[in-house]
Amino acid sequence: MRKLRIRFGLALPAWVWLLVFFVVPIGVVVWYSFGYKPSIFSTNANDKLSFDRYVEALSPTFFATFQNTLWVGIAGTALCLIIGAPVAYWIAVKCAPSRRGMFLALVMVPFWTNFLVRTIGWQIILAPEGWLSHALQFLGVIPGPLGILNTRGAVLLGVVYNYLPLMILPLFVAFDRVSGPLREASKDLGAGSWQTFFRVTIPLAQPGIIAGVLLVYIPLMGDYITATVLGGAKGNMVGQIVASQFQTAQNWALGSAMAVLLILTIALSIGVMAAIGWLVTIPIRRSYRLTLEDAR
Amino acid sequence: MTVVAERPAEQADPSPSTTRAGSGRRAKAPRNVSRWLLPLWATLVFVFLFLPIAVVIVYSFNVGRLLISWDHFGFDSFAAIVTKPAVRDAVLVSLRTGLIAAVLATALGTLAGIAMARTPGKWVPWFLGLLLLISVTPEIVDAVALLPWVVFLGQDLGLSIFNDGTVRLVIGQSLFSIAIVSYIVRARLVGLDAKLEEASADLYAKPFTTFAKVTLPLAMPAVLAGFLLSFTLGLDNTIVSAFVQVSGTTPWPVYVLSALRSGLRPEIAAVSTIMLVLTLGALALVALVLKKAGDSAADIARTMAGG
Repeated sequence: MRKLRIRFGLALPAWVWLLVFFVVPIGVVVWYSFGYKPSIFSTNANDKLSFDRYVEALSPTFFATFQNTLWVGIAGTALCLIIGAPVAYWIAVKCAPSRRGMFLALVMVPFWTNFLVRTIGWQIILAPEGWLSHALQFLGVIPGPLGILNTRGAVLLGVVYNYLPLMILPLFVAFDRVSGPLREASKDLGAGSWQTFFRVTIPLAQPGIIAGVLLVYIPLMGDYITATVLGGAKGNMVGQIVASQFQTAQNWALGSAMAVLLILTIALSIGVMAAIGWLVTIPIRRSYRLTLEDAR
Repeated sequence: MTVVAERPAEQADPSPSTTRAGSGRRAKAPRNVSRWLLPLWATLVFVFLFLPIAVVIVYSFNVGRLLISWDHFGFDSFAAIVTKPAVRDAVLVSLRTGLIAAVLATALGTLAGIAMARTPGKWVPWFLGLLLLISVTPEIVDAVALLPWVVFLGQDLGLSIFNDGTVRLVIGQSLFSIAIVSYIVRARLVGLDAKLEEASADLYAKPFTTFAKVTLPLAMPAVLAGFLLSFTLGLDNTIVSAFVQVSGTTPWPVYVLSALRSGLRPEIAAVSTIMLVLTLGALALVALVLKKAGDSAADIARTMAGG
């Protein structure tokens, strides 16, 4: 019993550290969000509590940013899934096993390259006076300089690029888990390749798919760097307006309310997605049950 | 399943001629998909993934006033790293805080990971929940939460240590890293039997001796991997650092972020190129350590994706 207590104590420093520098600060932000900004010279006050900052944060100017962020978040995550799934499947199942490690490393290198630097790489590529713009004009693909930088399209491209490895890695782990024998068994029992893919591989890889979607969607919704580097004025994301409330406007109360709303938006949209996913897969799950019973 | 297992090995992979009659035509399409389309798609995605990195490396040899407009080839930008104090200082601040934060995160995370693996109880799900919360909280929220807090601690409470730039950066960089290290260490020890530690205790080793001589060596590959990942994360940390930094201790990514407004110069690409080489070295080390410890490619991928 005494030994147990000593061992539990090993986690104590981490508990304390995380409570003091994570839980308490987040709590303070929630507290600030009910306050207000009393004058130009102070950032916040909490002597009168209200939901006014939330109302302000959802006023038309800022609400458009929330909508835009949701759009980029959902479209970006979907694109990551569509682009990443075949790659993960190929590395886990179809490519030569001896090369698997190398291809995985190729996915990880961009992921571990500085986020800001990768994004600046895209800024160089997409610049109206950059080489891609010149090449495309020379080839006659576009009439004038490339105008994608500082648009929502550039932000979407940037987030898909930045978060794609976060989709491929968990998907790879999931597809890898659905090991060869199971798929062989499916084939031996008379299923075609497509049937094996949709009835064995995909259902068994589902946890990995969910993990990948969450790993991409959550940080993407809070993204600040991609939008700042590639988005310009038009590509505003919530992360940017939260930052500007703290850094330039010095309105901590409003910024806090926005940060809380951002977290709520993420949590709520994940809930909605989970519900939709559950509803959509009802007929599929039912058909499985039927075929299983038929087989019996 | 048993049917499959009992079949002779050479029959386990049926040749196309033995596939079910009638599905022959339909099977052709998938084979084309796996033979041509998938590799082609993967190649395109790899090109996509490496394009901006290659561009940054190429442009680090740009001799021009602005990074974005190519002038001519040369090594001036690399020389500027040494001669420009602002650039050099920023890199040094990053290396220093990254190292301290990594040591701290590794120490706290390793202890927490061992505790989770070896003293399971009701507290473990709570702690894991907290770690999960830390890893899913958008960095910008962490940043705006930490800034008022360190200002409060440093100025209102008069704890002057929190006014120190290095301390602030270390705190900001450590949070996510602690979560990562705890995950990795726990995952490794959960996979290993506790029998060795029990044997050590039965042989009258003091708890500390068991910890230092048995548990810690068992966890060592995960500890090392966690340390290197933390260091890389610290070097890359931009958003939280941008908020909590004090002028005078500006870490490298924050320097780059502020240079975005004033105009990017080629030495930014030059430093990035060097950092990239450093990161690759660290990652190769992590992969090597994990491989030596017997992890499969999938395990390594899971670790690198952050648990």
